[in-house]
Amino acid sequence: MARILIPTPLRQFAEKNDTVEVGGATAGEALTALTVRFPDLKKHLFNDEGKLRSFVNVYLNDEDIRYTGKEATPVKDGDTLSIVPSIAGGK
Amino acid sequence: MIHIERGPWREMVNHAQATYPNECCGALLGTIEIGTIDGDKKVVTRAMVLENASAGSQAARYELRPEDLMRADKEARAHKLDLIGIYHSHPDCDAYFSETDLKNSCPWYSFVVLSIKGARFDHANSWLPNAEQTHAEKEELIWPES
Repeated sequence: MARILIPTPLRQFAEKNDTVEVGGATAGEALTALTVRFPDLKKHLFNDEGKLRSFVNVYLNDEDIRYTGKEATPVKDGDTLSIVPSIAGGK
Repeated sequence: MIHIERGPWREMVNHAQATYPNECCGALLGTIEIGTIDGDKKVVTRAMVLENASAGSQAARYELRPEDLMRADKEARAHKLDLIGIYHSHPDCDAYFSETDLKNSCPWYSFVVLSIKGARFDHANSWLPNAEQTHAEKEELIWPES
């Protein structure tokens, strides 16, 4: 089982859990397991085409999964997945 | 509604004035009570200064490293607080939510914008962008001198 850290504003869609333990051999499977268990989370993480929203980054421990195989990145017991948004801007 | 306590407010204003004429950015930590009768009630008890990671000119641009946001989230969890917002400054212009702000936003957090004019704080607003990054609602913002 890996654990997924849930950002504060999304905890209301995950029965107020700040951390959720999920099964799955890859990051994609773990995220799917999360949204199967908490279906209300899905629209906050994925767009209508089922792809991660543009501002959503997923880190496996300290590595951005974009550089380690994206959603096929292998996940093992004890790993931590973090959901981290991209944020920038300017006047 | 988002209420910023005196300590974090001073930290944010000092940061924004010190980085003038560039933009600054940081994270807002505190508590959030979701779905009260008046909507969500957020109280900011700590401001965390983060580095503007924008590679180009920082006079009209800021960028947060995801790694820094992860650090802010870990810090919040360690102190039983929540990461509830992001702040940044607009040097020599108003505290609106610009097109650039909107296109690079995330609907999960409050976005507090500080207007700094001539190196002095002028005013501030808080914004709640939608998931499609097409619109941001103004959120009631309370700070010590407001």
